[in-house]
Amino acid sequence: MEDIELKKMWDASNKQLEQARILNLQSRALSTKTFESLQKHKAQSKLNGLSTFKNWMIALGIIWVLFLVLLVAGDRFKHLYFSTSIAVIAAFNIYAVAAYIKQVILINQINYESSLVDTQKKLTELQISTINIVRILFLQAPFYTTFYWNTQWMLTDIKFWLITFPISLLLFLASLWLYRNISFKNAGKKWFRLLMGGREWASIIEAKRYLEEIEEFKTNEA
Amino acid sequence: MPPEQDPFIQLIEANKALIFKICNAYCSQPADREDLAQEIILTLWKGRARFRPDHKFSTWLYRVALNVAISYYRKTKRSIPNIPLSDIHAEEAAHLGSMKEEEDKQQLLQQEIGALKEFDKALIILYLEEKSYKEIAEIIGITATNVATKLNRIKEK
Repeated sequence: MEDIELKKMWDASNKQLEQARILNLQSRALSTKTFESLQKHKAQSKLNGLSTFKNWMIALGIIWVLFLVLLVAGDRFKHLYFSTSIAVIAAFNIYAVAAYIKQVILINQINYESSLVDTQKKLTELQISTINIVRILFLQAPFYTTFYWNTQWMLTDIKFWLITFPISLLLFLASLWLYRNISFKNAGKKWFRLLMGGREWASIIEAKRYLEEIEEFKTNEA
Repeated sequence: MPPEQDPFIQLIEANKALIFKICNAYCSQPADREDLAQEIILTLWKGRARFRPDHKFSTWLYRVALNVAISYYRKTKRSIPNIPLSDIHAEEAAHLGSMKEEEDKQQLLQQEIGALKEFDKALIILYLEEKSYKEIAEIIGITATNVATKLNRIKEK
C-alpha cells in the first residue's frame, strides 16, 4: 500500500473514532485544570502501581525492623546468640527497606521527557534491581535458626551438635548458594521458578525480557 | 486566570488530536484510553516547567505521551488491537454505512498498528504523523538511519 494512502487511512480512522466521542480529551483537559485535581488523579494513577508494591514492602519492612530492634533493645545482649541473631536479621532488613526506598524515589524521579529508549530502559532497570535485594535477604535465613542457641546447651547436649548445628550449617550453605545463583541466567530453571513464584518476580522476569528487547531495538542498525 | 486561558490547557487543546491518536494506538478499551489520556495530561502538567520554549513543543509532547503510553501499555498489558470501528456510536455507524470497504481498511490498519511491539508502534505513529526521520530519532532515542531501516521492515510486514 502506498504511503500516502496509509497516512490518509490513519487520519480518517482516528477522525471517525474522535467524532464518535469515544474519548473526549477536551473535557479531560479542562477537568484537570487545577493542580489539586491533578494530585488527586495522581493518587489514582495506574502507573503508580510500579511503586505501590514497593511502598507496601517498605511499610511492612519498617514494622518488622522496629519489632526486631525492640527485641534487641529489650535483651541488651544478655543472651548473646539471641541478640546477635536478631541484630543481624534486623541489619539485612534495614538494608532491604533502604534499597526499596531508594527505588521508589528513583521511580518517582524518572523523567518522561527523555527519549523513549532511555526512559523505558531506566524504568526497567530499576524494576530488575529488586533481584539484588532478594539475593541479600536470603543470607539472613540461617540466623533464624541461631537465636535460641546458648553456650550451656552447646557444652552439655550432644543433640546440639548432631541436629541443631548441622541444620544451621546447611541453611547457611544453602543461603550462600542461593545468593550466588539467584540471577537471570538461572531464571528458566525449575528450582528458580518454584522459589520465585510471586507477583513481583513474574514482572521482573518480564522486565528483563523487555530490557533485552530495548537493547535489541537500540542496536539493530542497518 | 480562567482555566480555558491557561497557556498549558491551550497547548493541550491544540494538540489533543496527537494525544488521542496515541491513546487509541496503545489501548483497546475506551476506559483505558480515558485513563491513559489522564496519565498523559498529568505527566505533561507535572513536566511543563521543564519545557524549554526554544524546543519544539510537539517533540516534547510526543516524548512524554509515548513514554507514558508505553509504560501504561506494559502495566495493563491489554495488547488486543484497537476497538473495531463497528463499535462506535450507532449514529456514526449509520453515517459510515456505504463506506464499508474504507472502514475495513481502516480497521485493518488500526489492528496492524495495535499488534506491533511498543517501540515499533511509536515509530509508525510518528511516521504516519509525518514527522521527519530526524525528529523521530530524537523522540525515540535511536539514529535516523535506524529509524529508516526499522520503518522499512515494519512496512514490509
